Amino acid sequence: MIELATNCETFVLFPLGKKRFALPARQVSELARQDERQTFPHTTPLLTGVVLRRNQIVPVADIAPLLVGPEAPERKFYLVINRQTKGKSSRTAVPVTGDCELANAERLPVTGKLPPYVCGLLSLHDEIVEVLDFERLMAAEVRA
Amino acid sequence: MRISQALPRLGSSTRAKETMILFWVGGFSFAVAATAVDEIREVTGLQEFPSRLAKVTHTLERQGRHYFVVDAARHFRLMAADSTRLMVLRNSPVAVIVDAIDRMQEIQSIHALPEGFHGEERIWYRGLTLLKGKVVPVVRPDTFLTKAEITLLNAALRAKASMKALGAMA
Repeated sequence: MIELATNCETFVLFPLGKKRFALPARQVSELARQDERQTFPHTTPLLTGVVLRRNQIVPVADIAPLLVGPEAPERKFYLVINRQTKGKSSRTAVPVTGDCELANAERLPVTGKLPPYVCGLLSLHDEIVEVLDFERLMAAEVRA
Repeated sequence: MRISQALPRLGSSTRAKETMILFWVGGFSFAVAATAVDEIREVTGLQEFPSRLAKVTHTLERQGRHYFVVDAARHFRLMAADSTRLMVLRNSPVAVIVDAIDRMQEIQSIHALPEGFHGEERIWYRGLTLLKGKVVPVVRPDTFLTKAEITLLNAALRAKASMKALGAMA
């Protein structure tokens, strides 16, 4: 018999090197293979270019160096995230290093000293996964 | 794994045919409305003009008018390369040094710059256009120099002319 926790949410777990992170599944619109990334001059931190997805120009935010340092392995997929920026809907593609997974889990409060963009923790078997607040993550980079 | 959810309708685009001049700076391709360009010429006949703006180091005198020459690589914060062409802008005392002119091309639409971009590119670009699957930023010609910068440069130009006149009298 499967026991369901009462406050379970669905998360997308994604790897960045040896570590996994989580985003609420409602924020994620798709996982796609790396398309050709194109770039042009700009000054927005974290954004490394754009990709064309379903006739849309989607900015690419490479958060791996921020989360796991400059030695992050090659990114193989894009996680496309729905965002609300200044009241407008937009999408951002986040390169990840491997296959993603859906997980139902209870979001635990943050304990200890963690960066402000960590908005919860998931306890999964022998692994603690940080849940990311994507907007705060992007804003933290802007402030840095 | 593929996760599919209803996608919000995103990204506005303006549909109108417009002729663009495509040019290269620092290995990147840019587009500017052909109507904004008065002349494309070689980079010759420039006068040195030290100014407070790092991107303006020369002027051009053409048909009795002075043009402030903007280094597009510095404007877009790119590495300097071999600049071979000067685009003289229309209705503006600005000429822009670029690496090369690619071609003229009619575009069908301009897509709004995605909301995720919030840096100087929001000032530099009208939006993005797609040319055979390649994303090309469409430049706002009036942002190479702001009105305030032109005022400042005009004052410096007048001061330089006065100094020259005084030198000639002495």
